[in-house]
Amino acid sequence: MSIKVRNLTKIFDEIKVLDDISFDVADGETLAVVGFSGSGKSTVLKLICGLIEKDAGEIITSEGDIAMVFQYSALFDSLNVADNISFALRERRDLRNKYSEEDLKEIVSQKLELVGLGGIERKFPSELSGGMQKRVSFARAIVTEPKTILYDEPTAGLDPISSTLIEDYIVRLQQETNASSIVVTHQMSTITRTANRLIMLYNGKIVFEGTPEEMLRADTPYTKQFVTASLEGPMHMVS
Amino acid sequence: MFRAFGNQFTDFVTTLGAIIENGFITLKYIIMGQIERKELMDQCVRFGISSLPITLSIVGMTSIIVTSQVASEMVKQGGGNFVGLLVSILIVREVGAVMSGFAIISMIGSSLASEIATMRVTEQIDAIQVLKVNPIRYLFVPRVLSGIIMMPLLVIIASAFGVITGAVTTTLTTELTYKAYFDSAWIGIYMKDLSVCLLKSVAFGGTIALISCSCGYQASGGAKGVGLATNKAVVWSLVAIVIWDLIFSITFFF
Repeated sequence: MSIKVRNLTKIFDEIKVLDDISFDVADGETLAVVGFSGSGKSTVLKLICGLIEKDAGEIITSEGDIAMVFQYSALFDSLNVADNISFALRERRDLRNKYSEEDLKEIVSQKLELVGLGGIERKFPSELSGGMQKRVSFARAIVTEPKTILYDEPTAGLDPISSTLIEDYIVRLQQETNASSIVVTHQMSTITRTANRLIMLYNGKIVFEGTPEEMLRADTPYTKQFVTASLEGPMHMVS
Repeated sequence: MFRAFGNQFTDFVTTLGAIIENGFITLKYIIMGQIERKELMDQCVRFGISSLPITLSIVGMTSIIVTSQVASEMVKQGGGNFVGLLVSILIVREVGAVMSGFAIISMIGSSLASEIATMRVTEQIDAIQVLKVNPIRYLFVPRVLSGIIMMPLLVIIASAFGVITGAVTTTLTTELTYKAYFDSAWIGIYMKDLSVCLLKSVAFGGTIALISCSCGYQASGGAKGVGLATNKAVVWSLVAIVIWDLIFSITFFF
Protein backbone atom coordinates (compact mmCIF):
# COMPACT_ATOMS: atom_id res chain seq x y z
CA MET A 1 0.00 0.00 0.00
CA SER A 2 1.57 3.28 -1.10
CA ILE A 3 -0.42 5.69 1.06
CA LYS A 4 -2.19 4.68 4.24
CA VAL A 5 -4.16 7.31 6.14
CA ARG A 6 -5.64 6.35 9.49
CA ASN A 7 -7.92 8.39 11.78
CA LEU A 8 -6.58 11.66 10.42
CA THR A 9 -7.83 14.76 12.20
CA LYS A 10 -6.99 18.40 11.55
CA ILE A 11 -8.40 21.32 13.48
CA PHE A 12 -8.21 24.98 12.39
CA ASP A 13 -9.50 27.61 14.82
CA GLU A 14 -11.43 24.99 16.82
CA ILE A 15 -13.15 23.71 13.65
CA LYS A 16 -12.50 20.08 12.72
CA VAL A 17 -11.66 20.40 9.04
CA LEU A 18 -10.83 16.67 8.91
CA ASP A 19 -12.52 14.46 11.45
CA ASP A 20 -11.05 11.00 11.92
CA ILE A 21 -10.80 10.03 8.24
CA SER A 22 -9.09 6.88 6.94
CA PHE A 23 -8.33 5.72 3.41
CA ASP A 24 -5.70 3.90 1.35
CA VAL A 25 -4.14 4.43 -2.06
CA ALA A 26 -2.56 1.40 -3.71
CA ASP A 27 0.65 1.42 -5.77
CA GLY A 28 -0.07 2.91 -9.17
CA GLU A 29 -3.61 3.86 -8.22
CA THR A 30 -5.18 7.30 -8.65
CA LEU A 31 -7.58 8.39 -5.94
CA ALA A 32 -9.75 11.47 -6.39
CA VAL A 33 -10.68 13.48 -3.32
CA VAL A 34 -13.86 15.36 -4.08
CA GLY A 35 -16.21 17.67 -2.25
CA PHE A 36 -17.36 21.26 -2.02
CA SER A 37 -14.92 24.13 -1.68
CA GLY A 38 -13.77 24.34 1.92
CA SER A 39 -14.43 20.68 2.65
CA GLY A 40 -10.78 20.00 3.56
CA LYS A 41 -9.63 18.42 0.29
CA SER A 42 -6.45 20.48 -0.07
CA THR A 43 -5.75 20.03 3.65
CA VAL A 44 -5.47 16.28 3.01
CA LEU A 45 -2.70 16.91 0.47
CA LYS A 46 -0.85 19.40 2.66
CA LEU A 47 -0.89 16.92 5.52
CA ILE A 48 0.41 14.07 3.34
CA CYS A 49 3.31 16.10 1.95
CA GLY A 50 4.14 17.56 5.37
CA LEU A 51 3.36 21.21 4.73
CA ILE A 52 1.13 21.28 7.82
CA GLU A 53 1.07 19.17 10.98
CA LYS A 54 -1.77 16.79 11.78
CA ASP A 55 -3.59 17.00 15.10
CA ALA A 56 -4.26 13.26 15.32
CA GLY A 57 -4.00 10.10 13.25
CA GLU A 58 -1.37 8.48 11.11
CA ILE A 59 -0.08 8.92 7.56
CA ILE A 60 2.15 6.21 6.15
CA THR A 61 3.63 6.59 2.68
CA SER A 62 5.91 4.21 0.83
CA GLU A 63 9.58 5.18 0.61
CA GLY A 64 10.53 7.69 -2.04
CA ASP A 65 9.70 11.26 -2.84
CA ILE A 66 6.29 12.86 -2.62
CA ALA A 67 5.61 15.42 -5.35
CA MET A 68 2.88 17.99 -5.44
CA VAL A 69 1.32 19.91 -8.30
CA PHE A 70 -0.12 23.11 -6.89
CA GLN A 71 -3.45 24.66 -7.82
CA TYR A 72 -1.87 27.71 -9.45
CA SER A 73 1.31 25.87 -10.49
CA ALA A 74 3.55 27.72 -7.99
CA LEU A 75 6.39 27.98 -10.50
CA PHE A 76 9.32 30.11 -9.34
CA ASP A 77 8.76 33.28 -11.32
CA SER A 78 12.38 34.44 -11.07
CA LEU A 79 13.66 31.24 -12.70
CA ASN A 80 13.22 30.08 -16.27
CA VAL A 81 11.48 26.83 -17.17
CA ALA A 82 14.70 24.78 -17.20
CA ASP A 83 15.78 26.06 -13.78
CA ASN A 84 12.28 25.48 -12.40
CA ILE A 85 12.32 21.85 -13.51
CA SER A 86 15.89 21.17 -12.37
CA PHE A 87 15.44 23.10 -9.09
CA ALA A 88 15.36 20.05 -6.79
CA LEU A 89 18.32 18.44 -8.59
CA ARG A 90 20.39 21.61 -8.18
CA GLU A 91 19.37 22.62 -4.68
CA ARG A 92 18.64 19.45 -2.73
CA ARG A 93 21.61 18.48 -0.58
CA ASP A 94 21.36 14.77 -1.47
CA LEU A 95 21.11 15.46 -5.22
CA ARG A 96 23.05 18.63 -5.94
CA ASN A 97 26.38 17.08 -6.88
CA LYS A 98 24.91 14.05 -8.58
CA TYR A 99 24.26 15.55 -12.01
CA SER A 100 26.47 17.45 -14.45
CA GLU A 101 25.13 20.42 -16.41
CA GLU A 102 24.79 18.13 -19.43
CA ASP A 103 22.80 15.61 -17.38
CA LEU A 104 20.51 18.34 -16.11
CA LYS A 105 19.90 19.65 -19.63
CA GLU A 106 19.05 16.14 -20.77
CA ILE A 107 16.68 15.50 -17.84
CA VAL A 108 14.90 18.83 -18.31
CA SER A 109 14.49 18.16 -22.00
CA GLN A 110 13.11 14.66 -21.33
CA LYS A 111 10.59 15.88 -18.76
CA LEU A 112 9.46 18.70 -21.02
CA GLU A 113 8.95 16.26 -23.91
CA LEU A 114 6.90 14.09 -21.57
CA VAL A 115 4.45 16.94 -20.99
CA GLY A 116 4.51 17.98 -24.65
CA LEU A 117 6.45 21.22 -24.22
CA GLY A 118 9.83 20.66 -25.83
CA GLY A 119 11.94 23.75 -26.60
CA ILE A 120 10.63 26.18 -23.99
CA GLU A 121 13.56 25.79 -21.57
CA ARG A 122 14.59 29.48 -21.70
CA LYS A 123 11.10 30.93 -21.26
CA PHE A 124 9.95 32.37 -17.94
CA PRO A 125 6.66 31.36 -16.26
CA SER A 126 5.10 34.75 -17.01
CA GLU A 127 5.54 34.05 -20.73
CA LEU A 128 3.45 30.85 -20.56
CA SER A 129 -0.31 30.24 -20.60
CA GLY A 130 -2.04 28.76 -17.53
CA GLY A 131 -2.19 25.31 -19.11
CA MET A 132 1.50 25.41 -20.07
CA GLN A 133 2.46 26.54 -16.57
CA LYS A 134 0.53 23.61 -15.18
CA ARG A 135 2.37 21.19 -17.47
CA VAL A 136 5.74 22.69 -16.50
CA SER A 137 4.76 22.17 -12.87
CA PHE A 138 4.02 18.51 -13.75
CA ALA A 139 7.52 18.24 -15.21
CA ARG A 140 9.03 19.82 -12.10
CA ALA A 141 7.05 17.45 -9.86
CA ILE A 142 8.26 14.27 -11.56
CA VAL A 143 11.91 15.28 -11.93
CA THR A 144 12.93 13.33 -8.80
CA GLU A 145 10.99 10.21 -9.89
CA PRO A 146 8.48 10.39 -7.02
CA LYS A 147 6.52 7.42 -5.75
CA THR A 148 3.56 9.59 -4.82
CA ILE A 149 2.13 12.52 -6.79
CA LEU A 150 -0.44 14.87 -5.29
CA TYR A 151 -2.49 17.14 -7.57
CA ASP A 152 -4.33 20.10 -6.03
CA GLU A 153 -7.20 21.02 -8.35
CA PRO A 154 -5.10 20.49 -11.49
CA THR A 155 -7.75 21.75 -13.91
CA ALA A 156 -8.93 24.77 -11.90
CA GLY A 157 -9.18 27.91 -13.98
CA LEU A 158 -8.45 26.19 -17.30
CA ASP A 159 -10.63 26.12 -20.38
CA PRO A 160 -12.32 22.77 -21.19
CA ILE A 161 -9.76 21.78 -23.86
CA SER A 162 -6.78 22.60 -21.65
CA SER A 163 -8.53 20.68 -18.84
CA THR A 164 -8.83 17.60 -21.06
CA LEU A 165 -5.15 17.91 -22.00
CA ILE A 166 -4.15 18.13 -18.33
CA GLU A 167 -6.33 15.14 -17.49
CA ASP A 168 -4.61 13.16 -20.27
CA TYR A 169 -1.22 14.09 -18.84
CA ILE A 170 -2.25 12.98 -15.34
CA VAL A 171 -3.13 9.56 -16.77
CA ARG A 172 0.07 9.50 -18.85
CA LEU A 173 2.29 10.41 -15.90
CA GLN A 174 0.61 7.76 -13.80
CA GLN A 175 1.39 5.19 -16.49
CA GLU A 176 4.97 6.41 -17.01
CA THR A 177 5.91 6.64 -13.33
CA ASN A 178 3.57 4.04 -11.80
CA ALA A 179 3.30 6.46 -8.90
CA SER A 180 0.32 6.51 -6.58
CA SER A 181 -1.64 9.68 -7.11
CA ILE A 182 -4.21 11.71 -5.25
CA VAL A 183 -6.16 14.24 -7.30
CA VAL A 184 -8.12 16.87 -5.42
CA THR A 185 -10.87 18.16 -7.66
CA HIS A 186 -14.53 19.02 -7.95
CA GLN A 187 -14.63 18.74 -11.71
CA MET A 188 -16.61 15.72 -12.95
CA SER A 189 -14.50 15.20 -16.08
CA THR A 190 -11.30 15.09 -14.02
CA ILE A 191 -12.86 12.52 -11.68
CA THR A 192 -14.16 10.23 -14.42
CA ARG A 193 -11.11 10.52 -16.72
CA THR A 194 -8.27 10.23 -14.20
CA ALA A 195 -9.39 8.42 -11.05
CA ASN A 196 -9.61 4.72 -10.29
CA ARG A 197 -11.43 5.45 -7.04
CA LEU A 198 -12.70 8.45 -5.13
CA ILE A 199 -13.63 9.62 -1.68
CA MET A 200 -16.11 12.42 -1.06
CA LEU A 201 -15.58 14.74 1.91
CA TYR A 202 -18.20 16.75 3.73
CA ASN A 203 -17.98 18.31 7.19
CA GLY A 204 -14.59 16.71 7.67
CA LYS A 205 -15.94 13.16 7.15
CA ILE A 206 -15.83 10.76 4.21
CA VAL A 207 -19.44 10.52 3.06
CA PHE A 208 -18.83 8.31 0.02
CA GLU A 209 -16.11 5.96 -1.17
CA GLY A 210 -16.11 4.02 -4.45
CA THR A 211 -15.27 4.17 -8.13
CA PRO A 212 -16.38 7.06 -10.36
CA GLU A 213 -18.93 4.74 -12.00
CA GLU A 214 -20.31 3.77 -8.59
CA MET A 215 -20.63 7.43 -7.68
CA LEU A 216 -22.58 8.17 -10.85
CA ARG A 217 -24.93 5.23 -10.17
CA ALA A 218 -25.14 5.59 -6.40
CA ASP A 219 -28.48 6.46 -4.89
CA THR A 220 -27.17 8.41 -1.90
CA PRO A 221 -28.21 12.00 -1.20
CA TYR A 222 -24.58 13.18 -1.12
CA THR A 223 -23.54 11.72 -4.47
CA LYS A 224 -26.82 12.73 -6.13
CA GLN A 225 -26.41 16.31 -4.97
CA PHE A 226 -22.75 16.44 -6.07
CA VAL A 227 -23.35 14.87 -9.49
CA THR A 228 -26.36 17.08 -10.26
CA ALA A 229 -24.70 20.15 -8.70
CA SER A 230 -27.95 20.77 -6.86
CA LEU A 231 -28.49 23.30 -4.10
CA GLU A 232 -31.01 20.90 -2.55
CA GLY A 233 -29.55 18.12 -0.44
CA PRO A 234 -27.66 17.33 2.73
CA MET A 235 -24.54 19.32 1.81
CA HIS A 236 -24.52 23.06 2.37
CA MET A 237 -21.84 25.53 1.45
CA VAL A 238 -20.44 27.53 4.31
CA SER A 239 -21.45 31.10 3.49
CA MET B 1 -10.04 47.65 22.48
CA PHE B 2 -8.40 45.06 24.76
CA ARG B 3 -8.77 42.45 22.02
CA ALA B 4 -7.11 44.77 19.48
CA PHE B 5 -4.27 45.43 21.90
CA GLY B 6 -4.00 41.70 22.60
CA ASN B 7 -3.82 40.93 18.86
CA GLN B 8 -1.13 43.57 18.37
CA PHE B 9 0.88 42.16 21.24
CA THR B 10 0.53 38.59 19.93
CA ASP B 11 1.60 39.76 16.48
CA PHE B 12 4.62 41.58 17.97
CA VAL B 13 5.74 38.50 19.93
CA THR B 14 5.17 36.19 16.94
CA THR B 15 7.14 38.46 14.59
CA LEU B 16 9.99 38.92 17.05
CA GLY B 17 10.11 35.17 17.69
CA ALA B 18 10.15 34.42 13.96
CA ILE B 19 12.96 36.92 13.32
CA ILE B 20 15.10 35.47 16.13
CA GLU B 21 14.43 31.86 15.08
CA ASN B 22 15.11 32.56 11.39
CA GLY B 23 18.22 34.48 12.38
CA PHE B 24 19.65 31.51 14.27
CA ILE B 25 18.83 29.08 11.44
CA THR B 26 20.41 31.45 8.88
CA LEU B 27 23.51 31.85 11.03
CA LYS B 28 23.77 28.07 11.37
CA TYR B 29 23.75 27.64 7.57
CA ILE B 30 26.29 30.44 7.12
CA ILE B 31 28.63 28.87 9.69
CA MET B 32 28.17 25.46 8.03
CA GLY B 33 29.14 27.08 4.72
CA GLN B 34 25.91 26.09 3.00
CA ILE B 35 25.87 29.10 0.72
CA GLU B 36 24.62 29.22 -2.84
CA ARG B 37 27.40 31.25 -4.49
CA LYS B 38 25.56 32.28 -7.64
CA GLU B 39 22.52 33.43 -5.67
CA LEU B 40 24.85 35.26 -3.25
CA MET B 41 26.48 37.12 -6.14
CA ASP B 42 23.08 38.09 -7.56
CA GLN B 43 21.94 39.38 -4.18
CA CYS B 44 25.21 41.30 -3.65
CA VAL B 45 24.70 43.07 -6.97
CA ARG B 46 21.11 43.83 -6.00
CA PHE B 47 22.10 45.04 -2.52
CA GLY B 48 25.14 47.03 -3.49
CA ILE B 49 25.03 48.24 -7.06
CA SER B 50 21.33 48.93 -7.48
CA SER B 51 21.06 50.86 -4.22
CA LEU B 52 24.27 52.89 -4.60
CA PRO B 53 22.78 55.93 -6.41
CA ILE B 54 19.95 56.44 -3.90
CA THR B 55 22.32 55.87 -0.95
CA LEU B 56 24.83 58.43 -2.29
CA SER B 57 22.02 60.89 -2.97
CA ILE B 58 20.58 60.65 0.54
CA VAL B 59 23.92 60.81 2.36
CA GLY B 60 25.21 63.57 0.04
CA MET B 61 22.11 65.72 0.47
CA THR B 62 22.10 65.23 4.24
CA SER B 63 25.72 66.32 4.30
CA ILE B 64 24.88 69.43 2.25
CA ILE B 65 21.96 70.29 4.56
CA VAL B 66 24.01 69.90 7.75
CA THR B 67 27.16 71.59 6.43
CA SER B 68 25.35 74.56 4.91
CA GLN B 69 23.70 75.25 8.26
CA VAL B 70 26.72 74.85 10.54
CA ALA B 71 29.71 75.93 8.42
CA SER B 72 28.95 79.65 8.04
CA GLU B 73 27.78 79.87 11.67
CA MET B 74 30.98 78.25 12.92
CA VAL B 75 33.13 80.56 10.79
CA LYS B 76 31.24 83.57 12.20
CA GLN B 77 31.88 82.34 15.75
CA GLY B 78 35.57 81.83 15.03
CA GLY B 79 35.41 78.04 14.80
CA GLY B 80 36.18 77.74 11.10
CA ASN B 81 39.06 75.38 11.78
CA PHE B 82 36.66 72.84 13.21
CA VAL B 83 34.10 72.64 10.38
CA GLY B 84 35.80 69.68 8.71
CA LEU B 85 36.19 67.94 12.04
CA LEU B 86 32.52 68.36 12.96
CA VAL B 87 31.17 67.31 9.58
CA SER B 88 33.45 64.29 9.28
CA ILE B 89 32.63 63.06 12.79
CA LEU B 90 28.94 63.51 12.08
CA ILE B 91 29.14 61.68 8.77
CA VAL B 92 31.43 58.83 9.86
CA ARG B 93 29.82 58.22 13.23
CA GLU B 94 26.16 58.74 12.34
CA VAL B 95 24.93 60.09 9.04
CA GLY B 96 26.79 57.70 6.72
CA ALA B 97 25.57 54.50 8.35
CA VAL B 98 22.11 55.59 9.46
CA MET B 99 21.13 57.35 6.22
CA SER B 100 22.51 54.44 4.18
CA GLY B 101 20.42 52.17 6.39
CA PHE B 102 17.30 54.19 5.64
CA ALA B 103 18.11 54.12 1.92
CA ILE B 104 18.62 50.35 2.02
CA ILE B 105 15.34 49.82 3.88
CA SER B 106 13.43 51.75 1.23
CA MET B 107 15.27 50.25 -1.74
CA ILE B 108 16.14 46.70 -0.71
CA GLY B 109 14.26 45.84 2.48
CA SER B 110 10.85 46.60 1.02
CA SER B 111 11.65 44.71 -2.18
CA LEU B 112 12.97 41.66 -0.28
CA ALA B 113 9.86 41.56 1.90
CA SER B 114 7.42 41.91 -0.99
CA GLU B 115 9.32 39.36 -3.10
CA ILE B 116 9.29 36.70 -0.37
CA ALA B 117 5.72 37.54 0.68
CA THR B 118 4.60 37.06 -2.93
CA MET B 119 6.41 33.73 -3.01
CA ARG B 120 4.56 32.78 0.19
CA VAL B 121 1.06 33.71 -0.98
CA THR B 122 1.55 32.11 -4.41
CA GLU B 123 2.67 28.84 -2.74
CA GLN B 124 6.21 29.08 -4.20
CA ILE B 125 7.66 28.62 -0.70
CA ASP B 126 5.42 25.58 -0.19
CA ALA B 127 6.77 24.25 -3.49
CA ILE B 128 10.36 24.74 -2.26
CA GLN B 129 9.50 22.74 0.87
CA VAL B 130 7.78 19.94 -1.04
CA LEU B 131 10.87 19.69 -3.26
CA LYS B 132 12.80 19.06 -0.02
CA VAL B 133 14.88 22.22 -0.19
CA ASN B 134 15.11 24.26 3.00
CA PRO B 135 13.54 27.69 2.27
CA ILE B 136 15.64 29.42 4.92
CA ARG B 137 18.84 28.14 3.34
CA TYR B 138 17.68 28.97 -0.18
CA LEU B 139 16.06 32.36 0.48
CA PHE B 140 17.51 33.82 3.67
CA VAL B 141 21.19 32.83 3.58
CA PRO B 142 22.21 34.64 0.35
CA ARG B 143 20.09 37.70 1.16
CA VAL B 144 21.26 38.14 4.76
CA LEU B 145 24.87 37.42 3.82
CA SER B 146 24.74 39.93 0.98
CA GLY B 147 23.49 42.52 3.50
CA ILE B 148 26.38 41.74 5.83
CA ILE B 149 28.95 41.95 3.00
CA MET B 150 27.63 44.87 0.98
CA MET B 151 26.39 47.26 3.66
CA PRO B 152 29.90 48.12 4.98
CA LEU B 153 31.09 48.78 1.42
CA LEU B 154 28.10 51.00 0.77
CA VAL B 155 28.61 52.88 4.04
CA ILE B 156 32.32 53.46 3.32
CA ILE B 157 31.57 54.85 -0.14
CA ALA B 158 28.59 56.89 1.11
CA SER B 159 30.55 58.31 4.08
CA ALA B 160 33.48 59.30 1.87
CA PHE B 161 31.01 60.93 -0.51
CA GLY B 162 29.36 62.71 2.44
CA VAL B 163 32.68 64.11 3.70
CA ILE B 164 33.59 65.29 0.17
CA THR B 165 30.14 66.84 -0.32
CA GLY B 166 30.65 68.59 3.01
CA ALA B 167 33.96 69.99 1.73
CA VAL B 168 32.36 71.32 -1.45
CA THR B 169 29.50 72.88 0.53
CA THR B 170 31.94 74.47 3.00
CA THR B 171 34.02 76.08 0.27
CA LEU B 172 30.90 77.33 -1.51
CA THR B 173 29.26 78.81 1.59
CA THR B 174 32.32 80.13 3.47
CA GLU B 175 35.78 81.41 2.73
CA LEU B 176 37.41 78.23 4.04
CA THR B 177 39.66 76.29 1.67
CA TYR B 178 39.61 72.58 0.90
CA LYS B 179 42.95 72.25 2.67
CA ALA B 180 41.61 73.85 5.87
CA TYR B 181 38.52 71.61 5.73
CA PHE B 182 40.41 68.34 5.17
CA ASP B 183 43.19 69.21 7.67
CA SER B 184 40.57 69.52 10.37
CA ALA B 185 38.57 66.50 9.05
CA TRP B 186 41.54 64.13 9.40
CA ILE B 187 42.11 65.26 12.99
CA GLY B 188 38.56 64.33 13.92
CA ILE B 189 38.45 60.78 12.58
CA TYR B 190 39.96 58.06 14.73
CA MET B 191 40.40 54.37 14.01
CA LYS B 192 37.73 53.68 16.61
CA ASP B 193 35.21 55.76 14.63
CA LEU B 194 35.90 53.82 11.46
CA SER B 195 35.74 50.46 13.26
CA VAL B 196 32.44 51.29 14.96
CA CYS B 197 31.08 52.57 11.65
CA LEU B 198 31.95 49.28 9.94
CA LEU B 199 30.59 47.18 12.81
CA LYS B 200 27.41 49.20 12.79
CA SER B 201 26.97 48.79 9.05
CA VAL B 202 27.41 45.01 9.33
CA ALA B 203 24.69 44.95 12.00
CA PHE B 204 22.42 47.22 9.95
CA GLY B 205 22.82 45.23 6.72
CA GLY B 206 22.23 41.84 8.33
CA THR B 207 19.30 43.11 10.40
CA ILE B 208 17.52 44.82 7.51
CA ALA B 209 17.82 41.71 5.32
CA LEU B 210 16.80 39.34 8.12
CA ILE B 211 13.77 41.39 9.19
CA SER B 212 12.64 41.91 5.60
CA CYS B 213 12.95 38.22 4.73
CA SER B 214 11.21 37.17 7.96
CA CYS B 215 8.29 39.57 7.51
CA GLY B 216 7.83 38.36 3.93
CA TYR B 217 8.10 34.73 5.03
CA GLN B 218 5.32 35.23 7.58
CA ALA B 219 2.90 36.74 5.05
CA SER B 220 -0.52 35.25 4.52
CA GLY B 221 -3.53 36.04 2.34
CA GLY B 222 -3.26 37.67 -1.06
CA ALA B 223 -2.21 41.12 -2.22
CA LYS B 224 -3.22 42.62 1.13
CA GLY B 225 -0.95 40.18 2.92
CA VAL B 226 1.98 41.20 0.70
CA GLY B 227 1.30 44.88 1.44
CA LEU B 228 1.07 44.29 5.19
CA ALA B 229 4.28 42.24 5.19
CA THR B 230 6.17 44.95 3.28
CA ASN B 231 4.85 47.64 5.59
CA LYS B 232 5.82 45.60 8.64
CA ALA B 233 9.32 44.97 7.24
CA VAL B 234 9.92 48.70 6.70
CA VAL B 235 8.63 49.74 10.14
CA TRP B 236 10.48 46.98 12.00
CA SER B 237 13.71 47.68 10.10
CA LEU B 238 13.55 51.41 10.86
CA VAL B 239 12.99 50.75 14.56
CA ALA B 240 15.74 48.10 14.60
CA ILE B 241 18.23 50.51 13.00
CA VAL B 242 17.51 53.15 15.62
CA ILE B 243 17.81 50.59 18.44
CA TRP B 244 21.14 49.31 17.03
CA ASP B 245 22.37 52.90 16.73
CA LEU B 246 21.44 53.56 20.35
CA ILE B 247 23.23 50.39 21.49
CA PHE B 248 26.39 51.34 19.55
CA SER B 249 26.33 54.92 20.86
CA ILE B 250 25.92 53.80 24.48
CA THR B 251 28.56 51.07 24.12
CA PHE B 252 31.26 53.08 22.36
CA PHE B 253 30.71 56.79 22.89
CA PHE B 254 29.13 57.23 26.35
